[in-house]
Amino acid sequence: MSLLTVEGLKISTDGRALVSDLSFAVGAGERMGLIGESGSGKSLTAMAITGLLPRNISARGSITLDGQQVIGAPERNLGQLRGSATAVIFQEPLTALDPLTRLGRQIEEPLRRRYRRDGLDPKTVKHEVLALMERVALPQPERIAAAYPYEVSGGQRQRVAIAMALACRPKLLIADEPTTALDVTTQAEILKLLDSLVRDLGMALLFISHDLPVVANVVDRLTVLRNGKAVEQGPVRDVLGAPKNPYTKTLVEAARAFDQALGRTP
Amino acid sequence: MILSVDHVSFSYTRDRQVLDDVSLTVQRDRNLGIVGESGSGKTTLLRLLLGLNRPTSGTIRFGEQALDTSDRGFMRAYRRSVQAVFQDPYSSLDPRQNVFGIIAEPLQSLDIAVPHREAVEAALVSVGLPPDAMNRYPHEFSGGQRQRIAIARAIVARPELILADEAVSALDLSTRIRIVELLKTLGLKMTLVLVSHDLGVVASLCQDIVILERGRIVESGKTRQILDNPQHPYTRKLIDSAPRMPA
Amino acid sequence: MSAIAAAPVRRSRRSWLFAIGLILVGINVAVALLTLVWLPYDPSSTAGGRLEAPSLLHWAGTDRLGRDLFTQIMIGSRIALMVGAGAVAIGAAIGVTLGVLSAFATRLLDDAFAAAFDILIAFPTLLLAMLVVAASDTASLGSAILALGIAISAIVARLTRILAKRVIGMDYITAARTSGTSWPQIVIKHVLPNIWPTLLVNFALQFGLAVIAEASLSYLGLGAPPPNASWGRLLQEAQGTVYTAPFGAIAPGLALLILVIGINLSADGLRDIGDPTRRGSR
Repeated sequence: MSLLTVEGLKISTDGRALVSDLSFAVGAGERMGLIGESGSGKSLTAMAITGLLPRNISARGSITLDGQQVIGAPERNLGQLRGSATAVIFQEPLTALDPLTRLGRQIEEPLRRRYRRDGLDPKTVKHEVLALMERVALPQPERIAAAYPYEVSGGQRQRVAIAMALACRPKLLIADEPTTALDVTTQAEILKLLDSLVRDLGMALLFISHDLPVVANVVDRLTVLRNGKAVEQGPVRDVLGAPKNPYTKTLVEAARAFDQALGRTP
Repeated sequence: MILSVDHVSFSYTRDRQVLDDVSLTVQRDRNLGIVGESGSGKTTLLRLLLGLNRPTSGTIRFGEQALDTSDRGFMRAYRRSVQAVFQDPYSSLDPRQNVFGIIAEPLQSLDIAVPHREAVEAALVSVGLPPDAMNRYPHEFSGGQRQRIAIARAIVARPELILADEAVSALDLSTRIRIVELLKTLGLKMTLVLVSHDLGVVASLCQDIVILERGRIVESGKTRQILDNPQHPYTRKLIDSAPRMPA
Repeated sequence: MSAIAAAPVRRSRRSWLFAIGLILVGINVAVALLTLVWLPYDPSSTAGGRLEAPSLLHWAGTDRLGRDLFTQIMIGSRIALMVGAGAVAIGAAIGVTLGVLSAFATRLLDDAFAAAFDILIAFPTLLLAMLVVAASDTASLGSAILALGIAISAIVARLTRILAKRVIGMDYITAARTSGTSWPQIVIKHVLPNIWPTLLVNFALQFGLAVIAEASLSYLGLGAPPPNASWGRLLQEAQGTVYTAPFGAIAPGLALLILVIGINLSADGLRDIGDPTRRGSR
């Protein structure tokens, strides 16, 4: 059984379908890319998986995460699931972090929760915070741990957000446009970091983005969403090499056109 | 040569230089890409070119004349020749004006003696929107359509030069390529200065390129040459960082 | 997302509320105009019994002196409209002008403006009214309106300044500048239309507050001199007899409530009409 199985997911509000009949699965350690443009329903899908949909938006169908049904589950169970099975990295690290709490403390929080859950010695938390910060390649971890979000760069904030996600030791990491707000060179670094972390820690990854070339290099499989429907699914090589859906074809051609303008570098 | 920037520096406060001794020229019919990341000063440079701020030192020349924001007669002529397109099509269109009002604004403000209705209609058609769009409001359009409206506003007064600030980077990939195609067609009639962090977009549109890093130009020249044979390590890093499709 | 789907339902309910608001304000205006030509009783006639309960003869009962309350409430509606409209008009004229100037001013000047607004807001309206009366020699309805208008102007100025600053930061203002639009034109074409809806709702709120504030002023002899029966004065007069004759307080209170609700609903409706995103059909 897969770590995450989405079956016949339908998300709607006031009788209007926002996502319809979406099915996909992510196995342990697998990497899936969810590609779609604004309004395609990709972020709603991520919210449904974590049980974070706003009240006026309802989900039907089935989402099983780590053997548990998410749709219709009581908030208490969801809270547990969010801490242990999955963690999310958001697009804008400045709004995802608490502006009035030092970064070290923000990483500490989920870590302490895991320590309590697993009955580990809380004395080692501080040490592990620094270890996590080193893991996400933050320079001078002590200095950054004592800093507030506005005092560090966007890339460093996103690294802190990743460290917070890692603190939960999730089986599935959901990254919702994690590099869209970042500079190109920083994006490249964060992508590299995500890639190595997911590989080294054996996490599964659900990477959500509108940017095809960004996703294509990080994941194994792709699901292309358009207007709330999956128009194409398959391994990256197949989808990019021989797209069947006309919309996917436009996307691939557009990305290739920019690549071509850029020219190949050795 | 349309525009030349001569040893321009700019700082908001005394201790931090946003632009440091920047010189460049915009040649007629050669689109220029100004590439940089956040903090490179590229947006500040664009604001100086638009006459929204004055350089702390150095001069900007339009043809033979120095750009003087206090000379109203000159600025009028300058605005007529130089128009802008901004990054976020959601904040660059006044939500309370209809599309006609938005596109006709340069014609009205600059007292351009052409029939406004016909000019707006023509501008809409050339950006690929139906003429009856002029009676509608911005919120009725998608992001890509909104950017077309913003482009229509920029071309309605038939300027020589369009300055575009990350004009396509807020758009989805499939929309982005269509707007780039549109700009490419428009670039045949006027010159384009594109400020962007996206090398792929700049490479698609611009013959010349300037690379800015922390307020200084680190490399400039013909786009093809620089992309194929970058000299400065920062340029190389930018090129390597551009996301590409796997082979 | 959900707002789009829910809009048709809400829109029809909104237009209902707007209609109700207009009707309530309309009744008040009609009554106020009527008092100029006709009144059920002479307002100073004490022919009725004291503190009579509402009856067919006296719809709202009578006061301590046996005067017909309904007649006084009718006159009060004229005063309330004058106070509310007058004070808000003065407040809006001064407040919006200063607020917009402050938003466009240089940093130093803007700080000075902001401090001045804050001081004026902290300044007690009562003291302000006394100063105005002292300056104009006599207490009158006019001096009360002026004092309230000045007090409102500070609140409006502060709100306008914040709203205008936010709008000025938008790209469409920069786009207007690069289109050659002058600053005064930018204010008229872009800034005011975009801050108008929020201001309008605030004006409605200030209208109600002004009507209520006038009550305290006239109680202290700083408002309309007798026999001009403002609702506030009626409320104050009924204070002593509120347990024996509650209608004396209920009737003017109800009249005040109806006007304030009417003004607020109308303002909401006007705001929606001015907003293409709420009005338009897709």
